[in-house]
Amino acid sequence: MMGQRRTAGPTASFSSKTKDGVAAGQQDSTKHNICMVSDFFYPNMGGVESHIYQLSQCLIERGHKVIIATHAYGNRKGIRYLTNGLKVYYLPLQVMYNQSTATTCFHSLPLLRCVFVRERITVVHAHSSFSAMAHDSLFHAKTMGLNTVFTDHSLFGFADVSSVLTNKLLTVSLCDTNHIICVSYTSKENTVLRAALDPEIVSVIPNAVDPTDFTPDPSQRDDSKITIVVVSRLVYRKGIDLLGGIIPELCLKYPDLQFLIGGEGPKRIVLEEVREKYQLHDRVRLLGALEHKDVRNVLIQGHIFLNTSLTEAFCMAIVEGASCGLQVVSTRVGGIPEVLPEDLITLCEPTVSSLCQGLEMVIARQRAGTVPPPAAIHSRVRTLYTWRNVAERTEKVYDRVAKEVVLPLDRRLVRLRAHCGSVAGSIFAFVAVLDFLFLLLLQWLIPDSLIDVAIDASGPQGLWGQRRARKRELNANHHEGTGTG
Amino acid sequence: MADDDKFTDINGKAIFLECQNHSSFCREFTVSAPKVSLLRVMVYTCSVWLVAYVVFFLTENTAVLSGAIFVTLVGMLLHIHFVKIDQETLLIIGSLGVQLSSSYASGRESTTFIEMSKIKDIVINEAIYMQGVIYYLCILLKDPTDPDTVSSVVPLFQSSKPRLNCLVKVYKSCQEILAKC
Repeated sequence: MMGQRRTAGPTASFSSKTKDGVAAGQQDSTKHNICMVSDFFYPNMGGVESHIYQLSQCLIERGHKVIIATHAYGNRKGIRYLTNGLKVYYLPLQVMYNQSTATTCFHSLPLLRCVFVRERITVVHAHSSFSAMAHDSLFHAKTMGLNTVFTDHSLFGFADVSSVLTNKLLTVSLCDTNHIICVSYTSKENTVLRAALDPEIVSVIPNAVDPTDFTPDPSQRDDSKITIVVVSRLVYRKGIDLLGGIIPELCLKYPDLQFLIGGEGPKRIVLEEVREKYQLHDRVRLLGALEHKDVRNVLIQGHIFLNTSLTEAFCMAIVEGASCGLQVVSTRVGGIPEVLPEDLITLCEPTVSSLCQGLEMVIARQRAGTVPPPAAIHSRVRTLYTWRNVAERTEKVYDRVAKEVVLPLDRRLVRLRAHCGSVAGSIFAFVAVLDFLFLLLLQWLIPDSLIDVAIDASGPQGLWGQRRARKRELNANHHEGTGTG
Repeated sequence: MADDDKFTDINGKAIFLECQNHSSFCREFTVSAPKVSLLRVMVYTCSVWLVAYVVFFLTENTAVLSGAIFVTLVGMLLHIHFVKIDQETLLIIGSLGVQLSSSYASGRESTTFIEMSKIKDIVINEAIYMQGVIYYLCILLKDPTDPDTVSSVVPLFQSSKPRLNCLVKVYKSCQEILAKC
């Protein structure tokens, strides 16, 4: 497959340029050309989206070239540039369900191949197991002989039909992926079991929050009352039914308690019913969907941050809450116990009674004034999870992956059949062969030499940063402008 | 002063770029594609006629044969009159404007003129085209109410679709003229 990789690479006339990623790397630290692929990216909002964005920004800062491929959102199609020359391809692929694209294993190959070839990608990094596009891109990248990394952002069950099927798909998708990243040890355990992986190739790199975005401001909160803040999507997974049980119980006991709930989702109706039934309109405020920049303004109004998730791989929300100086009460599920040190979080079982107990304990402490001041909590949390640290660790994964050899087709087929069971393994081995033949057809129709190599915005030869540097230089001597607008 | 260069379009077919310097602030770029090849016309005609003959053999209806002749003739006429563009010309005159003209294989010409006051800039852009991503040259038009925003984009050399090296050459000489006015 290495031979094939060379043919899949850029044309001879550009090969001098290609060396920046591979050969020049031997002198200083290796710089990679990374393509992040996921169905989930801005303008969609959520943990995966901001993870991809922040990680890419920090990798660009470290001198790598990063591009992002996602599907088109409404009329947001084509190519866009974000801060620091982060290039985003919004590819016109059909969306099927929940912002995830339909997968046929083949139809995305021409576009993804074009992106990989013109950007001279060396590492394909796919995100989220819910994203069909991520799995597709892993599949095609392996066919094209590129190194692959996958980040899993969520936990899954093993029992119901849908998880059995997704787990099978994940097994197939990950069995020949070079490296897998999980966001917590619980998530690693889960992924290793689900996809029957060798734990050696699974790394744990937690998520991070931008501490400068989440600073405490005690003056914003009303100290005559105690405010409990909940910021989450209002869906079953986030335990909104539990929240619906907690609200009336605590509101009866504590007349000075109020709830502030940010987020939108199908379970909003549960909370509205509770509010209606117990006449709590003045004490339970539903804020609806929040933009990321507004989250802090909601958080700083509260004393206690409540998270009722039923399953969670990492939970960024509680770190954000703690970073704003709130007391955090959360369910003890998934990777949550790993996230914060014990004295910053109160963990409860995912039942109404246990959560009420935990909240009552924290309310009592709040009344007695024995909780640490918000600034002290913030200063402890701010150093725990930073994106720079995440980027450094991810870079090590890329360095390791870049040295590995991508399995050639014959060994890939053997691996698929050995790892994924005889039936699924054979089916997907057949699909892999078809994918390879389709790639050969495409290479015959549009040879790689006909695909123009894209001009780098980020990375060692990135023009974005140079332009700014040149502006600074401009006073000293006048440079001739290069680049293409 | 004129020079003629050979480039390829995004499908690998040869195209010719001719740059003419009329004066220091007036330049003309002509991108010409190869003429309709006789071989392709023959192949298309023969295949239509063969199919028609097979249908005729099965149905024994002579209207099929005359229909096929009619279809090939009309198809060829429509093709050279509306589809096949032989030459695309970009004439840029500093402080006056830009003239775009394309001449079809039948000899028909269509010309548009854009005043300099409406033009914000000429840039190379990227777009997703069919099953790939290509570079193309385009003119950004100013919004008449708010001169800082772009109201629409006029793509250049739409039918010949030259590759990046050709576009960069045109782009650089266009920028030289734009910079002067």
